[in-house]
Amino acid sequence: MTTGLGATMVRAGRRLLSSLPALFGVLVFTFLLMRVLPGDPAVFFASGPNAGKEEIELIRKQMGLDKSVPEQLVFYLSDIGHGNLGRSMMTGQPVLKDLRERLPASLELTFTALLIALIAAVPLGVIAALRPGSIVDHGVRLFCALGVCVPTFVSGLLLIYVFYYLLGLAPDPTGRIDVFTSLPPQRTGFLSIDFLLAGDFEGWWAACRQLILPAVSMALFVIAPLARITRASMLVSLGSDFVRTARSVGLSWRKVVVTYALRNAILPVITIAGIVFSTMLGANVLVEKVFSWPGVASYALDALLSSDYAPVQGFVLLMASLFVLVNLVVDICYGIADPRVSIE
Amino acid sequence: MRFVSFRPATSVLAVTALLLIATAPSQAQTRAETLRYVTGASVNTLDPNIPGSTRESFALSMSTYDRLVAFGRKQLNGKWVFDLDTITGELAESYEVSPDGLKLTFRLRKDAKFQDGSPVTAEDVKWSLDRCVTAPILGKAQLLTGSLTSADQFKVIDPLTIEVTLPKPDKLALPNLATVYPMIINSKVAKEHATADDPWATAWLKEHTAGSGAYVVESFKPGEQVIVKRNEDWNRGSANKPAFFKRVIVQSVPEPATRANLVERGDADLVLDLQASDVQSLEAKGKLKVVSTPQYNAITYVSMNNQIPPFDNVNVRRAIAYALPYDDMFKAALFGRGSPLFGASWPDGKPLNGIYPFQQPVKLDLDKAREYLKAAGLPEGFSTTFSFNVGQASTAEPMAALVKESLGKIGIKVDIQKLPDAQMSTQINEKKLPFYTEGIVAWLPSTDYFYRNFYTGNQRWNYSSINNPDLAAIAQEARFEPDKAKYEEAGRKLNAMHFDLMPQIMLWQPNQDAVMAPSIEGYTYEFHRQVDYRDVSRK
Repeated sequence: MTTGLGATMVRAGRRLLSSLPALFGVLVFTFLLMRVLPGDPAVFFASGPNAGKEEIELIRKQMGLDKSVPEQLVFYLSDIGHGNLGRSMMTGQPVLKDLRERLPASLELTFTALLIALIAAVPLGVIAALRPGSIVDHGVRLFCALGVCVPTFVSGLLLIYVFYYLLGLAPDPTGRIDVFTSLPPQRTGFLSIDFLLAGDFEGWWAACRQLILPAVSMALFVIAPLARITRASMLVSLGSDFVRTARSVGLSWRKVVVTYALRNAILPVITIAGIVFSTMLGANVLVEKVFSWPGVASYALDALLSSDYAPVQGFVLLMASLFVLVNLVVDICYGIADPRVSIE
Repeated sequence: MRFVSFRPATSVLAVTALLLIATAPSQAQTRAETLRYVTGASVNTLDPNIPGSTRESFALSMSTYDRLVAFGRKQLNGKWVFDLDTITGELAESYEVSPDGLKLTFRLRKDAKFQDGSPVTAEDVKWSLDRCVTAPILGKAQLLTGSLTSADQFKVIDPLTIEVTLPKPDKLALPNLATVYPMIINSKVAKEHATADDPWATAWLKEHTAGSGAYVVESFKPGEQVIVKRNEDWNRGSANKPAFFKRVIVQSVPEPATRANLVERGDADLVLDLQASDVQSLEAKGKLKVVSTPQYNAITYVSMNNQIPPFDNVNVRRAIAYALPYDDMFKAALFGRGSPLFGASWPDGKPLNGIYPFQQPVKLDLDKAREYLKAAGLPEGFSTTFSFNVGQASTAEPMAALVKESLGKIGIKVDIQKLPDAQMSTQINEKKLPFYTEGIVAWLPSTDYFYRNFYTGNQRWNYSSINNPDLAAIAQEARFEPDKAKYEEAGRKLNAMHFDLMPQIMLWQPNQDAVMAPSIEGYTYEFHRQVDYRDVSRK
């Protein structure tokens, strides 16, 4: 087992190294793409009622756009090397600071949503697989179809309408915490953890209440792929020889389904969960907008609309790195779920 | 299969339970002394002078800093709006304009103190005004419109007196000092944070304040929220007492439907930027107070580039002016919430007055439009594009569809082009768009100001790219015209030229719909089109 784990780590390390060129490519590609896109950020930001040519030139200089593109690229790369992602015109803050403040918000939301989705999807998939073609199976299929076909912002607005506007049960959908609640000292950036560390249970509760509606509306959207994959791979594994053997020797229901069938069926689910997680992180922009969630995705969208180069580049770099990281974690999870994978 | 169990129910239950737990009622907060203002935009700098600063940043700076003078307010159709013609002292106790109009003398209040407790002196005023005209910041271009261009124009007479000299008697010099940019900064504090590269401390002031205003910044999260608390010593308000609200929370809520929910539920006190449809339904419900003020310093246009064929032909422009379905556009885009700038009747064919903007005597008349097209030598029509930016899609999209449909009837084929905001402004700046809709706003709305800034020169705000030396000359002359009757005459001439040349088509002045809790009072439409937190109070 130890050699298996060691092999997994070596493989992960090799993976990490081999992804560096890809990251560099993403960096250069985004940089060039932003410059090729029509729209001059300097003109956009010089929008005061009297802003003229002089202001436009000033902003261009501030953003370093007065230099040639290759020069800009060299400066940009050396800045990145020094850990400087540039400054956002939109918020007036260094991009690194913005991302550092906003990433935990997005991660907290995405983790919670993924957790809710997994808790709902895996059992749903398993039940559907246990009785294929039954009412339960069709019910699950309908539920999944509904979840997928209702866009997240619609389900988000709907949840707000019902739980906040009509019933008055949910707190107002404005960000991570009620404006009147004081924040805990920042340790992890995850409010639900920071409040616990500070021993402030009231605050923790307030943060969780804010989190639940956006997380559910995001989860609804990704339950479908997870449940469908679980169902499909459960069907394969339930029909396989070892399950038949296990059943024939009279093992308990629990042991057959959970220990043997599910464990073997979970691999593709982990892969999909990894992919779903990465997409959610970038694509939850609508949920972030609807719930005024101060996350990275809505930040990047605003930046893109105003051609604010630095935040978009920073965001893409961040997403690419996260993607590499998530793939790595998925690899490691593979090794744990199925030790055979590590033996290449 | 026999492996059936009812576990599934558990997971469904768990989700439902989570939902219910999350939604337990919150305890009511007594927050009568707090103003919670929600907006789709956000504050991005504490110094409005920084290039790229947002309108919300302008509004915030009005409360964190004082200026020498401030605009008064007046009632317009029963609603409070800022008054360009009444200028009252803010940090100045009194001011005098010399008879020749070349010298403005300001006497400062003796009791005025910065938020750190130090007194406001003429030195601070000079430093701040010098900064405004010297540093590479937005104030420079604004003060230029009031003939304020050089630090030599500001002279300290004694610690409480400052004198401003003008090269010409410029009517807009005094009003300019009441705008957002020439705020008075605590020069001692700012100088401590100035560097050799940045002698005017622009970097530091972006994230810190050093003013004497009614509110002190408590927390500033760019893009999310700003919380300010009352400066108890501030007494520059009309009633010589501090501002009403102890705390103001300015919060960014990007989704307009959510903003509408918040104010309807009473969780937010005030919101300005709702969708017209939401405002209408909220007004119909009658639970909230809705103050709709025509933005009388803003105009929405359909612009045509007078240098690009076929719009270089005046008859083509006239044809378009008679082919737009104004009433339908007004209803579809704004739900009729605004003041129309079309459909006037001029009995003797002359402008009714010399005020810009004005209602033009144009209406939908396809026969007339066809005649003009024929006169232009294009009886068969032509093809063109009509552009608008994504940020204005909610009003511009229905409008564009109507334009396309109506122009199609006289043979003009229109392709609708929806451009991202940055791209749109770039193309306007480069004068590449033939036909589009855009809006403008002027802080100091006087006739000559509009014509000088929006109808002359090869610059971005001259949307129609009109280049008419006569028009430019009349507007330039009117700027320094002290005689009111002559000024009015010039205005009439300009308006007549506008109608004749039809460089672009004025559509309307959209309403600003301020939706607020019934207890909120004193809301005033300000020149910067945002709330001045000092104006409002709670019953």
